Amino acid sequence: MSKGKIAIVGIGEVPTGWYPDRSEWDIIYDICMQAIRDAGIDKNAVEGVICAPAVGQPKLDAELAFGKVPEELGLKGCKDVAMVHAGGATSANMIRMAEYWINNGIAKIVLLLHATKYSSVDPEYLIRTFATAGMSFEWEYPFGVTYNSMVALGTHKYMEVTGTTAEEMASVPVAFRKWAELDPNAMFRKPLTIEKVLSTKMVSTPLHSMECNMLADGGAAMVVTTPELARKITKTPVFKLGEGNRYCQATVTQRPEDLMMRTYKEAAEQAFAEASLTVKDMDILELYCAYPVLMLTLLEVLGVCKRGEAGKFVMQGNTWPGGKLPCSTIGDALSRGHTGSGVGFAYLVETARQLMGKAGERQVPNCRYVLTNCAGGSGMNVIFEIYGRNMP
Amino acid sequence: MKEYKKPLPVPQPWSKKFWEGAKQHKFLIQYCKDCGKKIFYPRKFCPECWSGNLDWSESKGRGKVNTFTIAMSNVEERFAEDIPYVLALVYLDEGIRMMTNIVDCKPEEVKIGMEVEVVFKDATEEFSLPAFRPVRR
Repeated sequence: MSKGKIAIVGIGEVPTGWYPDRSEWDIIYDICMQAIRDAGIDKNAVEGVICAPAVGQPKLDAELAFGKVPEELGLKGCKDVAMVHAGGATSANMIRMAEYWINNGIAKIVLLLHATKYSSVDPEYLIRTFATAGMSFEWEYPFGVTYNSMVALGTHKYMEVTGTTAEEMASVPVAFRKWAELDPNAMFRKPLTIEKVLSTKMVSTPLHSMECNMLADGGAAMVVTTPELARKITKTPVFKLGEGNRYCQATVTQRPEDLMMRTYKEAAEQAFAEASLTVKDMDILELYCAYPVLMLTLLEVLGVCKRGEAGKFVMQGNTWPGGKLPCSTIGDALSRGHTGSGVGFAYLVETARQLMGKAGERQVPNCRYVLTNCAGGSGMNVIFEIYGRNMP
Repeated sequence: MKEYKKPLPVPQPWSKKFWEGAKQHKFLIQYCKDCGKKIFYPRKFCPECWSGNLDWSESKGRGKVNTFTIAMSNVEERFAEDIPYVLALVYLDEGIRMMTNIVDCKPEEVKIGMEVEVVFKDATEEFSLPAFRPVRR
């Protein structure tokens, strides 16, 4: 149970994109200093540092895992450092570890960070790394599987079963882009139309290039502590109110069709029950999708839409800025850029930003409660988290 | 045999039998002699009851395309020459599911629900990969 056990008090983030001249340690300095200053605490008050892995970047990964951050930044009060890795589900697990640290005398105030720099990695190496991350070397990889094709399989089936059209599917990246247009940290910010999405090259049927995400450099950090201390540190603490999680098998072939829907539903119900809230109480759904089909599936699993109606719901603009139910306000990996294990973390930072009232042009008015989710590998699990600016 | 440059399966000791069968163009399914569970992919112990009393039976190699995609770009370099190629989830009649390729037909002929049969593609001295082709009547 995690209700009211942890609060976010400061956030920092650099723009996501292709920045070959910005080193990984440039990113780390910027995000950590921003987050600590945003919290308004002394740097030496940070007692613990938890890093996300830098997937596909062995040098940075080792530096982060083996304690370079507190030393480099001169965090003199730091008592311990660790890395948490659960692929795309890393962010929620970093929070869980921090929850344990702050409630068990290991560290009262903890800095969490994710940094990644794909612009300096050989693209072919990246394709190979991701073609084998969360996929079976024996039963999937030899057949020419990539993340795009893996999701294309599910997208094709979803469209066949629900009758969702290519236009409805293409309206999802358009919805993401509406938010990214307002987001200074997004990689792609030019207005987008359904026609434009459908005119881009086919990557893996039925997925067009603009329905697939692009790897990018980026990073974000946050400062977390106990709810009690959070109220003393800041006027805008963000409290974790609930979480729900389910495992749904590592490889796609081991995941029968109904398993994902069922496990996602159970995980969401668990999170809402712990928070004593319902989906109707949510002011924003910060849905980590990575591909359009995930947004539609999530909207249906959460009961926002009936099965097969999510495409119409998105196409009508309901998830856009000013819409009935703002969703994925960083423009998802498709417009924001995909930072490996960092997209879930970026959603967590945006969740806090919206609840703190610091989201600028993207600010959803009177934002009280936000649901966010993350998932690892090719869909090995799902974790839903609910945050609020008050305890309900 | 032409040099095969694409990634090969990385087997475990308990899955070698499958690949030996594949080499002889037989599709072997592991099963548990204690609880009867059909096991795919092969395991060291039955994932249902943890029995080590496992054996193999030959599949008829028939099934249906559950879903598929035609890979057209952004694939790993070693697969680029095969573009466009079909990746599919095939549900075998014996109740197991596998990731595979649909071959010996035009990609646009492939349909969800299509009946397919196994065909083995000889890759190296050690490995033949199971692919599927439409059942021709």
